[in-house]
Amino acid sequence: MNDAHIAKAFDRDLEGVQAQVMKMGGLVEEAIRDSAKALKSRDVELAEQVRQGDRRIDELEDLINTQCAQVLALRQPAAGDLRTVLTVMKIAGNLERIGDYAKNLAKRTEVLSHMQPIEGASSAIKRMSKEVEKMLSDALDAYVRRDAALAEDVRHRDLEVDQMYNALFREFLTFMMEDPRNITACMHLHFIAKNIERMGDHVTSVADQVIYLATGQFPDESRPKDNQSIYRVDSVGEAEE
Amino acid sequence: MTDTSLPQNAPRGSNSILATDARTKKRNAAEKRFRALGMGAIGIGLFFLIVLFTTIIRSGAPAFTRTVVDVQFTLTQAQYDEAEGTLFKTAAYADLFIAQLGEILAEQDVAADFDAESIERTLGKVGGTLREFYRANEDQLDQPVNFSLATSSRVDGYLKGRVTLEGIEDSRFLMASDLDLVDELQAAGVIKSEFNWPFITGADSGVDNPGGAGIGASVVGSFFMMLVVLALALPIGVAASIYLEEFAVQNRFTDLIEVNISNLAAVPSIVFGILGLAVFIQFAGLPQSAPLVGGLVLTLMTLPTIIISTRAALKAVPPSIREAALGVGASKMQTVFHHVLPLAMPGILTGTIIGLAQALGETAPLLLIGMVGFVARGYPDGFLTGFTEANSAMPAQIYTWAARADAAFYDKAWGGIIILLIFLMFMNILAVILRRRFERRW
Amino acid sequence: MMKDNADERIGVDAMDIKFAAKDVQVYYADNHAIKDVSVDILDKTVTAFIGPSGCGKSTFLRSLNRMNDTIPICRVEGDIRLDGQDINAPEVDPVQLRAKVGMVFQKPNPFPKSIYDNVAYGPRIHGLARGKAELDEIVEKSLRRAAIWDEVKDRLDAAGTGLSGGQQQRLCIARAVATEPEVLLMDEPCSALDPIATAQVEELIDELRQSYSVIIVTHSMQQAARVSQKTAFFHLGNLVEYGDTTDIFTNPRDTRTESYITGRIG
Repeated sequence: MNDAHIAKAFDRDLEGVQAQVMKMGGLVEEAIRDSAKALKSRDVELAEQVRQGDRRIDELEDLINTQCAQVLALRQPAAGDLRTVLTVMKIAGNLERIGDYAKNLAKRTEVLSHMQPIEGASSAIKRMSKEVEKMLSDALDAYVRRDAALAEDVRHRDLEVDQMYNALFREFLTFMMEDPRNITACMHLHFIAKNIERMGDHVTSVADQVIYLATGQFPDESRPKDNQSIYRVDSVGEAEE
Repeated sequence: MTDTSLPQNAPRGSNSILATDARTKKRNAAEKRFRALGMGAIGIGLFFLIVLFTTIIRSGAPAFTRTVVDVQFTLTQAQYDEAEGTLFKTAAYADLFIAQLGEILAEQDVAADFDAESIERTLGKVGGTLREFYRANEDQLDQPVNFSLATSSRVDGYLKGRVTLEGIEDSRFLMASDLDLVDELQAAGVIKSEFNWPFITGADSGVDNPGGAGIGASVVGSFFMMLVVLALALPIGVAASIYLEEFAVQNRFTDLIEVNISNLAAVPSIVFGILGLAVFIQFAGLPQSAPLVGGLVLTLMTLPTIIISTRAALKAVPPSIREAALGVGASKMQTVFHHVLPLAMPGILTGTIIGLAQALGETAPLLLIGMVGFVARGYPDGFLTGFTEANSAMPAQIYTWAARADAAFYDKAWGGIIILLIFLMFMNILAVILRRRFERRW
Repeated sequence: MMKDNADERIGVDAMDIKFAAKDVQVYYADNHAIKDVSVDILDKTVTAFIGPSGCGKSTFLRSLNRMNDTIPICRVEGDIRLDGQDINAPEVDPVQLRAKVGMVFQKPNPFPKSIYDNVAYGPRIHGLARGKAELDEIVEKSLRRAAIWDEVKDRLDAAGTGLSGGQQQRLCIARAVATEPEVLLMDEPCSALDPIATAQVEELIDELRQSYSVIIVTHSMQQAARVSQKTAFFHLGNLVEYGDTTDIFTNPRDTRTESYITGRIG
């Protein structure tokens, strides 16, 4: 395929909006990293920074949506171009949600900083967030390279995040049953873990978009999921969802 | 858009639109010069047109008037019988006329001096004219009859200023003394000028009677020729063009035909005359000097013009019309006859009229097939014989007159040209009317 | 995605194929204008031919009703079947074929006659009407179908050439449908029209789909996307891609198609 459009301004518009998404992706990665770091080191200041930084992410999403609307209205993109614009909008939405989860994480960090730390929990969460961050970075790489294989790989890696979450879920249950004073902290930690798991789902959605962008087909819903265990009634009473 | 290939604000001499820069001035000057040139060209054309028309009208106008001697003449039964009894009957009539003319002049106290010869020189063979009239109208005997007797062309020329007293030499045609007689007749009020109907309606006369020469017969000859040309050249030409333009396959043969048609249009007309003489008269045995043959020759000459202009008209019909007709399932022929031809009709008619006008003015080929002036002795007997009876055509008639020695024919030639132009004008008006009609029908 | 294509593709059988072209070649003298084009055009479907200028889409369209016969240097090879019958068979009269396969051209080209005569011309030459009343009926029906009846019913005697561009084109469509064709070929019917007239013609095309197989050549990809259910992309005389319009415009299989519809090659 010839890379350049006859209308060069069209290329500039498309590149511009994609550059914004990459920038947004960078900010979100940073937010994930910083929020996890703040949680581990109980760094309230860094957590506050993450919460402030989310505003920037939200603004970027608005900007991207506006620019996409303009491209749609003025250029009537088709085929690959159309898919680019559509995926950009969805990815921006996903990134914004991930940013929100990071912000939520930072908020809970401030609360948790006043409580007794739970043994090993923050390390596990850090590992989990690290994995999600890596997934996001790969998904964005796959986007830039239009690499469906890498995106598929990212989708499969979400399984690990799910498994980590399940493990943490059981761990937190154990802690809470051991000592009811842990319940508040554990609830917060559980929500953090759940949020990170949700981040993984959004990253998976980004990977889905990359596959659609590259192939024109949405991946079929055969994505391996491992969340059955926590919904099993016999396992731990009632699930939270 | 930042398109770097475009010059960015290249420095210009002046940025104000109120100041005219040198380039613009030069351009405007060139435009003005061109306009002046065009107007000059049109002016020159108009000037020559005016010169042409004034010359034609000034020189041709005398042909439309003639000088007559108005005399009231009475012939009694007894005089008639007596004159018919003599040996020189016309001479007897002439004597009677001279006697009565003398009386008329005496009444007016004009002293005139004339004899039979001077009367013949001024008024032609009066006796013959009178005798012919009374033999045809015996009931007019014994009562006064007004005769308008045409004067001889020289007397006519004298009154129109062409012939002067100083310029003439005495001859058997005119003596200086005759002009005195004319002056006296004029003083008596007997001589007068009137519209020369015989010029428009009459036929050619002999070399020695310019006064009696008329163009009417050759107008009829031209008319019949045009009928022949129209009846043959239009259908043949249009059919050939339609075939060549719409149906014929493009190959070397049709190319050859096309080239030949174009060449034919450029062939000198005299060649067609020779061809007509050889083929129509000598080979096919058609009558000489007949408008039919003239028409055939002119048809050959006009065909290329009509074919070329018709093809141009057909080409000018937008192809979208053909496609539209073919698209709704019309056949090729329906397409051509329902849509293309009606749209091309104004153009075809224009071409045809131009061709006819060209043919109308053509002289050379007619001379070769014997349609010279003097054969136009009278009108054809009927419509059909008009095609085959010997006749002349206007341009040939004009040419014949112009070639004659007597200066009086000079006027006739100019007058003939005026009639020819009027004929052409009528044809053009007809063309315009027809074109309008077809155009309104879209 | 946005179109309902429930009525198509499902259970396509031979009955639904109106035109079947196989290995069609068209030559203009030595120029090979159409190369090996094979395509099945469905009945009661709008098929759009798109492609850059000179790609052969109009040429191929014109070979479907043998309009190329009128160009002496043009030669058509291959098999084109209308309802299973070879249209290039020696016993087929192109005039009869064109009555079945009507055509609307790029530039509105009404005959320089009255509106009535424009529409009545086809039925007249094909003898579709017995008597004036029946002809009137055909004219009215055709004008109604072309969605122009209300605009011209009071001036049927006025010149067709006096209408506006959009009206003229709809008049031409009325003229084409008056002969009751089975297929309607349209060669860039909206290229000379303003957006409103274009929208009217497009709406009309969508309605005509109920009764005819419509094949439209267009330079406007948006138009192809709007009106057609099937799209064929031509490039340099080849049929590059043929498929559902929705697929072609969201996810074309061929990179040339993608390049063309996203505006990367002219």
